[in-house]
Amino acid sequence: MSAQAGAGTYSPAAAAGDKRREKREELRRHLAEDADRPRADGRSFHDCRPAFMQTGPTTAASGSAYAEFGKTKVIVSVFGPRESKKAMMYSDVGRLNCNVSYTTFATPVRGQGADNKEYSSMLHKALEGAVMLHTFPKTTVDVFALVLESGGSDLPIIISCASLALADAGIMMYDLVASVSVSCFGENIIIDPTSDEEAWQDGSLLVAFMPARKDITQLTLTGEWSDGKITNAVELCMDACSKLGDILRDRLKDTATLTSE
Amino acid sequence: MAATAMDHDGGGDVVTPGELLGNSLTLVAGRGAYAEGRSVRASVTGHRRIVPPAPGSDDQRSTVEVVGHKAHGAVPQPGSVVIARVTKVMARMANADIMCVDSKAIKEKFTGLIRQQDVRATEIDKVDMYQSYRPGDIVRAVLSLGDARAYYLSTAKNELGVVSAQSIAGGTLVPISWTEMQCDLTGQIELRKVAKS
Repeated sequence: MSAQAGAGTYSPAAAAGDKRREKREELRRHLAEDADRPRADGRSFHDCRPAFMQTGPTTAASGSAYAEFGKTKVIVSVFGPRESKKAMMYSDVGRLNCNVSYTTFATPVRGQGADNKEYSSMLHKALEGAVMLHTFPKTTVDVFALVLESGGSDLPIIISCASLALADAGIMMYDLVASVSVSCFGENIIIDPTSDEEAWQDGSLLVAFMPARKDITQLTLTGEWSDGKITNAVELCMDACSKLGDILRDRLKDTATLTSE
Repeated sequence: MAATAMDHDGGGDVVTPGELLGNSLTLVAGRGAYAEGRSVRASVTGHRRIVPPAPGSDDQRSTVEVVGHKAHGAVPQPGSVVIARVTKVMARMANADIMCVDSKAIKEKFTGLIRQQDVRATEIDKVDMYQSYRPGDIVRAVLSLGDARAYYLSTAKNELGVVSAQSIAGGTLVPISWTEMQCDLTGQIELRKVAKS
């Protein structure tokens, strides 16, 4: 997306690039320096977006969950355990098959949908430590995540939503997995970034966390960070994950009491 | 979290995966629960129930289980007794679709394979598959995990084999010996590996 053009070439993007850089500088100055000013959507740096989660939107699946964090909307369906495909290698334990896809209208630029291989494998990594794979030998559990609208922090929301869907499907798990990401802007750390904030960030950190067992299942760090800031950011993420975990538990309990009445 | 309370009233409160159910010094993990280190935790969503220890057992600890909420469908486990429908019979093996695992109906499709050497316990090299099974027969068998392609089913026991079948004429077959069944319409005798009921 760099808008650099050599001299003498046809470069309508140069001016637009300047404007972009200007906007970026302004946002960065704003987020990196003024600690007390709220973010574009009115949150303070350590406020998450309001979360809405629900189990059971997909009736055909064994279990499913819907999550909405601000503009980001995700639906996850879990199928199985069912027979593994013939081409698979023999395995004594079960298999977790994860797939993340975007709808064509998920992003501002239309039609960038299709499968997201990177997110699929990261979702698998985040969940496999929490699922008791030995309880369904030789079979596969399919986890299909569909991003209806991408509004930033997509992967952490997919991970949290997928763990809710797995629990809804009755898959045995050691614990739920809650996930939160933070962005780093200069000296400041902001939690649950939106797409705009993710686009201008200096670095990002994603933590997937099992709240009851206090274990991290996945940690992804990108960009510029300093030692002390990483520690702060991980602690911030873990604290947010614990609170998100409580929300996940409440949703599961709501459904459990509703079905038993 | 209120889940740490260890009241022995049988409970009824809803717990979710990962929630602490108690200490492994006083509780044993039952269905839907697991023990790790000192703590016993839930592995599914459901109602917590505490079962007192069986009288006369050495272990004085109660068992805690999580039941009531929906669990995933039954999954074939090695050693479980399954009910399967034969779909295809070949010279050395027969294919069967598994329908029940340990008296529970399964939701997803699982295919099993009865090999020639697994049909009966004696004279296993003289088995004729066509004189043991026909497509459509309902078979009781013991399951093992098999290979990458299918689950292996074994009927090499007296109480395993065909439990229900239709004759060529369309009547119900009635077992008359461990290798023969008789049609209730025509009286014709057909050969099967019959399960002892």
